Amino acid sequence: MTVARFVFDAAAAVAVLFGGLMVVTRNSVRSVLTLVVAFFALAVTYVMLLSPFIAAIQVIVYAGAILVLFLFVLMLLNIGHIPAERSGPLQTLLGSLGVVLFAALLLGTLRGAGASIPAPTGETPQVLSDPASLSRELFSKYLLHFEAVSVLLLAALVGAFVLARREKQP
Amino acid sequence: MTLVDWVIVVLRVALPAMIFPALVIPLTWVERRGAAFIQDRFGPNRVGPFGLFQAVADAVKMFTKEAVMPASADKLLFLLAPAIAAFAALSTFAIVPYGATLKIDGREIPLIGADVSIGILYSFAIVSLSVYAIVLAGWASNNKFSLMGGIRSSAQIISYELAMTTAAAGVVLVASSFKLNDIIAAQQRPMPILAFVPQWNIFIQPLGFIIFLVSAFAETNRLPFDLPEAEPELVAGYHTEYSAMRFGAFQMAEYVNVVVACAITVTLYLGGWSLPGFHPESILGVALSILIFATKTAFLVWVFVWVRWTLPRFRYDQLMRLGWKVLLPLALVNLFWAAALEMVRAAR
Repeated sequence: MTVARFVFDAAAAVAVLFGGLMVVTRNSVRSVLTLVVAFFALAVTYVMLLSPFIAAIQVIVYAGAILVLFLFVLMLLNIGHIPAERSGPLQTLLGSLGVVLFAALLLGTLRGAGASIPAPTGETPQVLSDPASLSRELFSKYLLHFEAVSVLLLAALVGAFVLARREKQP
Repeated sequence: MTLVDWVIVVLRVALPAMIFPALVIPLTWVERRGAAFIQDRFGPNRVGPFGLFQAVADAVKMFTKEAVMPASADKLLFLLAPAIAAFAALSTFAIVPYGATLKIDGREIPLIGADVSIGILYSFAIVSLSVYAIVLAGWASNNKFSLMGGIRSSAQIISYELAMTTAAAGVVLVASSFKLNDIIAAQQRPMPILAFVPQWNIFIQPLGFIIFLVSAFAETNRLPFDLPEAEPELVAGYHTEYSAMRFGAFQMAEYVNVVVACAITVTLYLGGWSLPGFHPESILGVALSILIFATKTAFLVWVFVWVRWTLPRFRYDQLMRLGWKVLLPLALVNLFWAAALEMVRAAR
């Protein structure tokens, strides 16, 4: 096992571990922080996959902006410890069933997908490793998709604005 | 790689990282004597010549004082916060070239920690993580003043990061690269008109320079934007409960952040280590290029001190309004201006 592979596996393990911790943690601020660690570990896996640009965007946008906003809201509303709510037997049963079904679905998909991916040839596609060629692809071949996503985000922004201002109307 | 290669890599990566924490000592002296000079006082002048050893005495004091932990603090996060601050401050500089390429014995040694393709984006990523230090310190202290400081900091940094990156996008557009070496190379080209003026980005995008510098003040929490600590309202803001070297780590991080912000501004807008007509080849030339870079950075650091003791603090709502309603639209205008210039250049 090479060093690069070891770092990748370690980062992936940290990402999964802290993703799980985020769900389990009762303290909301700590919960956000475990998610920061998970996102950072995810960025490390991107770097090990020779995509530093995606890694930088992952850290800047998710860890650096979105989760800071989460923290801002949590701290502003002073939501600290969330008391454990007792769930009924039916909820527990349905919840466990859902987890098992989702795990089966995930495993099935992963096994099926693994067969169709060609064996790695040892060379990285230029598009991912170099920001210039990535943006060239994004603004030529995938321009329509790019613009469609930006319109979608604009719609979400306007929607959020309308929802936030509604209560002021008579 | 031979042993010599390893030594070179370690030296060029580790040297700046070791020099930066030590810079805090002269910087606190410059700040306090500078403040005294501006306010027509003497400032610290008892310890050593011109009070130069005052900062050393302060450092010894910080290392030997008792580190107090509030009884109701979140212990893990309370200890983690200063560590994050120091980590973020010391790793931001890695992608800034601090001198021309050194050529010895057929080896080419670029004077830069890591010449990665994402360049400036790396710095923005690390800087965006440094906010956690302040927010966590504020929250983990379990003190209302600290919490207020942390909340202010998170809102402030998100607002100014946007204007800062948009302003820097104009520079990236001109150089068509994120790498700071390419950005310096683009600034070494001659101007199409008025050829004696270097094509530094401060001359072609003056608006972008001002936006970047103002945002840098906000990002480093320096006056007039030091709302997270605002001592008249919040005691000392996010580091109210910190003492001894834990407080020292925050102080060190602040000064290192100022130096790094100045170094990045110099590289993006003031041509980095280059001067018009200066093409260093020999070892002496490379040493001169490092000196040029240090001089430009030192001047900007002095501007930071100068502004701190000249302008009063903004109110919180003024700060947010300036960020969102003034700086961000102006940064977009600057981006269009840069794009228009590039189109003209491409058409010629």
